[in-house]
Amino acid sequence: MAAQPHGLIATFETTPDLYHAAEQVRDAGYRHWDCITPFPVHGLDKAMGLKRSIVPRISLAGGITGFITGMTLIWWTGEVDYPLIVGGKPMFSPMFAFPVSYELTILFTAFATIIGMLVVNGLPRHYHPVLKYDHIVRGMDDTFFIVIESRDPRFNLANTKALLEKAGGKAITELEP
Amino acid sequence: MSTPAATVSAAAAPAESSGPTVAGKALVIGIVGLVLTALGVLVSGAEKAAMSYLVGITFWTAIAIGMLLLVLIHHIVDASWSVVIRRQFEHGFVAFKWLALLFLPLALTPFLGHGDLVWPWMNADHVIHGGHTVGHDPLYIKKSGFLNTNMFLGVTFVSFLLWMWVSARLRKASFSQDVDGDVKWTYMNRKTAAFGLPIAAFSLTAIAIFWVKSLEYHWFSTMYGVWFFANCVRGALCCGVFIMVWLYRRGDFRGILNPNHWHSIGMLMLAFTVFWAYVTFSQYFLIWNANVPEETFWYNLRELNHDGSTNQWWYVGLVILFGHFFVPFFALLSYRFKVTPHIIRRIALWNLTIILVDMCYNILPALKDSHEDSLPFFSLHLLWVLTSVVGVGGVCVWAYLRSLPTTKLIPIRDPRIGESLTHHE
Repeated sequence: MAAQPHGLIATFETTPDLYHAAEQVRDAGYRHWDCITPFPVHGLDKAMGLKRSIVPRISLAGGITGFITGMTLIWWTGEVDYPLIVGGKPMFSPMFAFPVSYELTILFTAFATIIGMLVVNGLPRHYHPVLKYDHIVRGMDDTFFIVIESRDPRFNLANTKALLEKAGGKAITELEP
Repeated sequence: MSTPAATVSAAAAPAESSGPTVAGKALVIGIVGLVLTALGVLVSGAEKAAMSYLVGITFWTAIAIGMLLLVLIHHIVDASWSVVIRRQFEHGFVAFKWLALLFLPLALTPFLGHGDLVWPWMNADHVIHGGHTVGHDPLYIKKSGFLNTNMFLGVTFVSFLLWMWVSARLRKASFSQDVDGDVKWTYMNRKTAAFGLPIAAFSLTAIAIFWVKSLEYHWFSTMYGVWFFANCVRGALCCGVFIMVWLYRRGDFRGILNPNHWHSIGMLMLAFTVFWAYVTFSQYFLIWNANVPEETFWYNLRELNHDGSTNQWWYVGLVILFGHFFVPFFALLSYRFKVTPHIIRRIALWNLTIILVDMCYNILPALKDSHEDSLPFFSLHLLWVLTSVVGVGGVCVWAYLRSLPTTKLIPIRDPRIGESLTHHE
């Protein structure tokens, strides 16, 4: 049995072509597919039916963690582990723990955002099957591609090929796994 | 995606007049508010009425300064997205001359009676805590080169003049560009912004010190001008949201605003919420940490009575802490809240209310009883605060509404109008 291809790749010449093709693929109900463009295309996320990223939520979780870490750090060191009266102030007060908590909120938010973004994007990734496609370099220059992966439950070699053809895709090629 | 060409031709018509009726109503409401405040003099006495009136004037002046700052910042950073809403702030500038006029009664107080109706240091014989007089107070004598009636009146007068001049330049360039589309007006605005920003920064700091901080002239805080700046910009952004929602619902802004405009102004509101909190907390924290009596007394007045019991201002302080930071901060973190007009409008209304409470917190505790305790927040004179906010606000809204129909709704020939109309689309 021949190995199932990684997916199908189709070429598009212009942004509107790609945009409208993306709408058709979206409406056909595919989930494991992507567009490859040389530059960001405004509104393509909508045409692809992408939801808003979950990265802000990861950032918020990071921020809350940072804030709690800061408060706990100052409370633990000043009140529990090594109590020392400084300037007649209480052993612990959220007042002087605040600058530390605030800094750690920012730091942890930044870490969570960067790491969350990488994880959600599946980065770093050293290999991807589309890299084997000869013309893929033009996706960094002047050509647009749509890739539909075979792991998509709706993927069917003939039907998917027909869909991409109908959507205006040129040079539809099977990608090696 | 909206098509800029179609939109611009629709907006090429002058902004629809809201009719003399709406502006007229605002003026009538304003005058009624001012008359009621004047009646407050008879009910609560001149001192309380004047102090309440100072809250109203400061609140609206802060918003007008904030609008000026937003337009100046827009030009200095060559912003694009805010082009479509900039015009509304330019209309807001007309409030300055009316605010100057409305400030006159307060500017006359140094010449009434002993002169210390509002600001105690204006009378050298004013008795201060401990039985001394202002004239014999070393802390006043050291500051008197700056803190005297002539400086107060001069700085106030010059500040209003500068605000009117800078805003007139911005209006002229922006409105002229509508007619001839010449790019030189954009360059003129950029130059105005370059010198207008330091002017605005110095004048608003001076105003914050003279009008508000000097009510307790013993007090020191280098954060004060920045605190005032943060409230200015927050107030202006909230009014901007109000105007955007109003014009959007009326139909003027349909096809012009897209979700990204709401998102952008919402992000600025969030940024300035954090900025306000940073500054206000820093002021409190440094004073708390240093624990120097010349500084702590200002907060003590707002927390405790002379017998050590908690007064109402303590709770007002907590309302400000949670209402002016935590509530808007968490609300504005949400993308959906920022891009849904009726929700962001609610957040704006909430913020404006708390800015008013913040102004009250900074001004009203200067009114004291016989024990030198601050009069409570819920006193009769809070009514005069509300009437003066309505009174001064009515006049400002009337001035804005009168200016609105005189020009195009958006600066149709601004070089960045196309970018602004398709903001992130």
